[in-house]
Amino acid sequence: MNVQVLGGLTSNFGELWDTSPRSLVRETCYQLFKNTSLPKSKIDAVLVANMLSSSLGNQDHLGAFFAEELGLNVPAVKVEAACASGGMAVHLAVLSILSGQYKNVLVVGVEKMTDYKPELVNKALMGAGSEGEREAGATFSSLYALMATKYMAEYKTKEEELAQVAVKNHYHASLSSHAQFKNQITIDAVLKSPMIATPLKILDCSPISDGAAALILSSDNKNSKVSIVASQSGSDSLSLSQRENLTSLKAAVISSRNAYKQAGITPEDIDVAEVHDCFTIAEIIAMEDLGFFKKGEAAKNIFAKKTWLGFGRPVVNTSGGLKAAGHPVGATGVKQVVEIFHQLNQTAGKKQVRNARIGLTHNVGGSGGTCVIHILKRN
Amino acid sequence: MLSPVKIWRNQKKVKSLLNLEGKILSYTKVYVPPAGFEQQAPYVVAIAELVGGIKVIAQLIEWQDKNLKIGQKILTVLRRTKDPGLEGIIPYGIKFKPVD
Repeated sequence: MNVQVLGGLTSNFGELWDTSPRSLVRETCYQLFKNTSLPKSKIDAVLVANMLSSSLGNQDHLGAFFAEELGLNVPAVKVEAACASGGMAVHLAVLSILSGQYKNVLVVGVEKMTDYKPELVNKALMGAGSEGEREAGATFSSLYALMATKYMAEYKTKEEELAQVAVKNHYHASLSSHAQFKNQITIDAVLKSPMIATPLKILDCSPISDGAAALILSSDNKNSKVSIVASQSGSDSLSLSQRENLTSLKAAVISSRNAYKQAGITPEDIDVAEVHDCFTIAEIIAMEDLGFFKKGEAAKNIFAKKTWLGFGRPVVNTSGGLKAAGHPVGATGVKQVVEIFHQLNQTAGKKQVRNARIGLTHNVGGSGGTCVIHILKRN
Repeated sequence: MLSPVKIWRNQKKVKSLLNLEGKILSYTKVYVPPAGFEQQAPYVVAIAELVGGIKVIAQLIEWQDKNLKIGQKILTVLRRTKDPGLEGIIPYGIKFKPVD
């Protein structure tokens, strides 16, 4: 398939109290048009990835909202798949280009979360869960905590091994200019941080963030250095309680298997990956679902620095992941593709993985109800 | 506000899940709650498999530390779930109670 990435850009992630969603999107997209030398008149469609504009911001109709802001009159629509909204918007952009209808598609993910108190954000995020989960007073941290309790009992995983995921991602974020947390942390600091939902502590959890990320996908391969070679998605039960098991996300297993097949590669071919580490346990499970490690072996391999920059392959979450780069929900899945684009384009700066040729993104919605996988390749 | 119609519809499902025995598949103690549960935190949320293979997520009540384990036997009971605010109908639902 011929889908090129012409360029990608991530805004600063963090507590951006003086910035509105409008200006976040405008500044990120205008800078991207400039970087790619593509005038906005060449954009044929806009896909906006966002989850919480209705429940937190009382704003619907984001297609028109941002088309107005960007001064465009092309088709524009919001794509929502909880925390996988960004990946799903990229997936639909790929399909729209493959259909032949559009040549250049702008994908922009955005979320504004820090304007509201945490209880309200937690409640709004639970819109991605089931009624039963909401009635039980579950939060997303508690759903992943339920996976962690089960995983740790089954595979004798230690809290230190979970903590190491956060330590790695903070180290990568310290090399990343847009990250929310550029400070390095220690295993001890993670273990001593306040409890959120046992066994997950605050430093096991991704933060509440504001931010945007934008990509231009195209069928024009004249000046492009990076292609999308696989775009797949899968789903599973909305409620965690209805899953076959609690230590693997079936949607991730199915969609990654289909993506490897579509790209004609195996997990061993991946040089660099951005995975959905909304919580430390999520990255451990992701490593196994994606076929990088055998079931039950990811935690000790991460602990042994196998996925750290400068140590082994694949290098995982060079952006700092959701944990340390921040997790503005709608922007996250787009940011993952932006990060892999820069890695393959050799423009990742201090966190550049040497000679990265093939990269993967793994974007999860809810507690695993949706998963979107992309594989990118240097041309 | 919680929709009274939605509560009425969901009440019909609750009956079939009451007074059933089951076992805890996983659990967590929640310290940071969502809106509507601030007064209850910390509380325990668990997934249990009930007799007949139905799997349910609910809060565990009247627990002691020794009950916080995978495999703990429970019984489903009816309890008030969340704070309905000043005007809402009080919602009732399933919770788990440890049994020996």
